[in-house]
Amino acid sequence: MSDSSCAGHDAPPALERVEVVANDRITTGVGLIVLHAPRTAAAVRPGQFVHVRIGYGTPFILRRPFSVHRVRGERLEILYQVVGRGTRALAAATAGTQMDLIGPLGHGWDIPADVSHALLVAGGLGAAPLGMLAEELAARGVAVTVASGAPSEDRLLARDLFEAVARRVEVATDDGSCGTPGFVTGVCASLLADEALDIVYTCGPEPMQRIVASQAAAAGVPCQVSLERLMACGIGACLSCVVRTTEGLKKACVDGPVFDAAAVEWEPAERVPEH
Amino acid sequence: MSQTVDMNVNLAGLALRSPVLTASGTFASGREFADFVDLERVGAVVTKGVSLEPWEGNPGPRIAETSSGMLNSIGLQNPGVEAFCANDLAWLSSVDVPVIVNVSGHTLPEYVGVVERLEDEPGVAAYEINISCPNVDAGGMAFGTACAPAEEVTRACRTVTSRPLIVKLSPNVTHITEIARAVEAAGADAISLINTLLGMSIDVRTFRPRLARVVGGLSGPAIKPVALRMVWETSRAVTVPVIGMGGISDAEDAVEFMLAGATAVAVGTANFIDPTSVIRITDGLAEFCRANDVERVRDLTGALRT
Repeated sequence: MSDSSCAGHDAPPALERVEVVANDRITTGVGLIVLHAPRTAAAVRPGQFVHVRIGYGTPFILRRPFSVHRVRGERLEILYQVVGRGTRALAAATAGTQMDLIGPLGHGWDIPADVSHALLVAGGLGAAPLGMLAEELAARGVAVTVASGAPSEDRLLARDLFEAVARRVEVATDDGSCGTPGFVTGVCASLLADEALDIVYTCGPEPMQRIVASQAAAAGVPCQVSLERLMACGIGACLSCVVRTTEGLKKACVDGPVFDAAAVEWEPAERVPEH
Repeated sequence: MSQTVDMNVNLAGLALRSPVLTASGTFASGREFADFVDLERVGAVVTKGVSLEPWEGNPGPRIAETSSGMLNSIGLQNPGVEAFCANDLAWLSSVDVPVIVNVSGHTLPEYVGVVERLEDEPGVAAYEINISCPNVDAGGMAFGTACAPAEEVTRACRTVTSRPLIVKLSPNVTHITEIARAVEAAGADAISLINTLLGMSIDVRTFRPRLARVVGGLSGPAIKPVALRMVWETSRAVTVPVIGMGGISDAEDAVEFMLAGATAVAVGTANFIDPTSVIRITDGLAEFCRANDVERVRDLTGALRT
């Protein structure tokens, strides 16, 4: 692979009509929807997202952004949490339902050419954009270690995928029903101490990502984070999804959602949306 | 063979190939939409608001979705007129489309300063003076909710340009026709309306406002009836042309605004939902005219039967 970065391959986004192939609730409040989306499936890179129009003529008007969990042939798989009107409508969509999406969008994970061992830290639904990344890293011959956290064992996401491609998977649950009791940041700290890591990739609640970023920085390991913001257009026009960085305000939709953790100026805790 | 519809309109001396424009703040400077629409088929690109110095905008969250609409409190984040000329305007000059620059300011001299700077740029077809942004502490809507300041800022910009001057009005007033007459008297060549309606939304789980700045501007289909009423009132109160906007999502919405008296229309929030909206609505408008034996789209303007 001569190109060191995912972003170098980015295809221009397009509007694509898609059809729901399957849509299942996989654990408390979380669903997995499979969309037939040949154009986007062929073009999307790990860490990028799609902007989905869930309904037409509904009282809610905006699209909803979802990272792509993984790709299987012409199908996209999306992990989503039911949090509001949009995701409730998404959860109600049955096989055969027509939707449209804009994709692929955003700047995904960068994979430097010299990386040989990567740590992926997933908090809850943060596993969503890390699935495709784990597969891509493994396909490139990069050793993958995963730290995955959830409230309880039944709510751990993407376990099978991570176990299939990672050299090592460590789990943390809030209630101690599986793995180390407590937050995934505890597991992350021990892995950073134990393992010779070249890079850390993380996604999850923003306070968790912030801790992982500081742990990686303390260990001298580069870190990339995937940030969530409310967004309207998804293509860089509305300026809803700004992220404060050392290089000024950036847009989560086109400059992110993946950012170099060292460049992010974290919002004060009271501004972090509740998850 | 279906007849060809004449889609040309004359807007305050600007010859436009279509009456369908983009609404300021919803289309950036067009570049972001180039993957989705042929910009050369857009009536005119109305840019995001530009100020004399760079503006950072407001803290987040900056948007909240509401029933059939959305609230925004972006706060006119923009890189300032110099960077705008070097980047946005330079890029737009490679596209054959009229460019209307939306001009913002905290103070009267700032509005004038932006216009003066842009007078050096050949790629500007007209100005839209934004006296209606509800999301800044100084300037913006403060100029647009009383006749005297509205008139003053219009007159000040008028003295430094001979290009068409459009003034964009706020709906957050008791009598919009009074403001419209004031800016017409001060030299406005056209009036655009409406900007967003002030609103708010609360997250009952946290007892907190959904917007960091508490209040913001409502846009989208939810505001269309209000916008249509104000376009109808205004177009009867002034002799200059009116650009109608507020929740236009499809061609029939555009037809409604023209029947109510608009010479041109602008598509705003719909660009966020369907990035092809402006062309979809342009094509739909032509198709409407064909189907209804309207030879020239301008014949729809003010054709309301009452």
